[in-house]
Amino acid sequence: MNGSLRIPKMKKYSWQGIVAFIFLILLFVVAIYTFSYLQHDPNLTNLDERLQGSSLLHPLGTDQLGRDVLTRLLLGAQQTIGYSLLALIVALIIGVPIGLISGYKRGLVDRVFMRIADGFLAFPDTIVAIVLSGLLGPGIGNLVFAIILIKWVSYARLVRSTMLTESQKEYVLIARTNGLSPIKIIRKHLLPHIVGHVLVLASLDMGKIILLISAFSYIGLGVQPPTPEWGAMLNDSRPYFQSRPELMIFPGLAIVVVVLLTNMVGDYLRDHFDVKKEVQ
Amino acid sequence: MILSFEQVSISSREKTIVDNVSLSIGEGEWFALVGQSGSGKSLLSLAIGQMLSPNLKVNGKINFKGEDLLSLSTKQIRTIRGRKMSYIFQDYQGSFTPFRTIGQHLDEYQKAHGIRDGKIRRIKSIDALNSVGLDETLYNSYPFQLSGGQLQRVSIAMSLLLSPDLLIADEITTALDSVSGHRILELLAKRQQETGCTILFITHDWRHVRKYATRLAVMKEGAIIESGGKHRILDHPRHEYTKQLIQAAPILGQGLPSGLQEDGNG
Repeated sequence: MNGSLRIPKMKKYSWQGIVAFIFLILLFVVAIYTFSYLQHDPNLTNLDERLQGSSLLHPLGTDQLGRDVLTRLLLGAQQTIGYSLLALIVALIIGVPIGLISGYKRGLVDRVFMRIADGFLAFPDTIVAIVLSGLLGPGIGNLVFAIILIKWVSYARLVRSTMLTESQKEYVLIARTNGLSPIKIIRKHLLPHIVGHVLVLASLDMGKIILLISAFSYIGLGVQPPTPEWGAMLNDSRPYFQSRPELMIFPGLAIVVVVLLTNMVGDYLRDHFDVKKEVQ
Repeated sequence: MILSFEQVSISSREKTIVDNVSLSIGEGEWFALVGQSGSGKSLLSLAIGQMLSPNLKVNGKINFKGEDLLSLSTKQIRTIRGRKMSYIFQDYQGSFTPFRTIGQHLDEYQKAHGIRDGKIRRIKSIDALNSVGLDETLYNSYPFQLSGGQLQRVSIAMSLLLSPDLLIADEITTALDSVSGHRILELLAKRQQETGCTILFITHDWRHVRKYATRLAVMKEGAIIESGGKHRILDHPRHEYTKQLIQAAPILGQGLPSGLQEDGNG
């Protein structure tokens, strides 16, 4: 067998994926640095200027309380994307190590962790979020907590299943016979296997979490007013939909765009890390 | 005696897989452990380094240079693995982590055993590659870029890297074609002469036993049924099963049968 046949070729990069990736990063950067060029106080109500159309001063007009829509939209990005990322990262930090340990150790440790995970999996995420809001009171903190509680399970399970197959392979045995500690084996020989899978799942989850946060803010269980958040903005402008539909359209569009972008990136990453494709 | 098993039994929850095995292996020997698949030879060899999966229970004693390996803690056994004893396995393709280069493998194992200086590690790695007849350009290659024979050579280089006293070779030629397998064993014999290490050679191939082994033991269904010097067993097998095994082995040198009267001997 000629070894050179199996060298991974430069993959064809899909331009949609790249573009989505660039836009998403751009969006993050805008969301992070948005405070540096804000011209308006996002929470300053000015009833003289309420429900204005687009103007030089207010490019996207003002809402029912005379607040600048563009400012609130940008700050809303910070809230929505920021809290989604927070929930996602914490879920990763909890889920990945648990998956690593239970997949590598197996036995009792594995069984205990997985039964706990099954317990969490039994509840649909929206129900948990609603129940938690009911118990602890509405608020973004509780919502993020609920999302973490639900999401870590899928990462733990994904990582565990990869670990179960990989840790049985001979190179792990060899690494063990050469005196490497389990931590080193996991970090250097096993972790790289799961990075791809986890990235794909995370990017696809990102969209779902954004939707969840927006949805809960829409029904008043997420970000509390007057903090700008896309879902909450949607809800606030509901009464004015007949006269000023753009008040709902802008935040709605923002949600759609971000979710679409994260899903596109997710699809792209999935193709990128697809092992089967590489072999062919 | 460098390695001795004293009444070693390995059992799972349901049944005993290796039953009361006692064996001793002298320093510098090429000790062959022969038996059919499923006879427990691999499990026995894995027990030496405490490599068995946790659901298997080991009883008895395995003395290695005066220490009972089974009583060592995980940390202690880790310092012995790779440094004082090492393994080579059958599956050369799977023996290397696919996304790490040959050099990274060699480097990492030296690092794990406390060789701090990166330059020394590199020199030793390249020496090890040269000692098994491989070019140092392979240092930066990935495992999938090497052929099976090359990979198995790297395995040998890797296992002898820290000059262990005991090398456990588990069916190392089974996955290779007969010419490559032959070369690998020649190489192993040469390296043994150079380093003086003891080899526990697990196989089911009598040709290799006849050619390289000094002593051997025959295993069947988890028990040693016969052990002794190579010539004694090959020429005067006492046990019925050993006789059958020897008779079943393909004999080279008398030519291969044409296959006209194929009677399933193999």
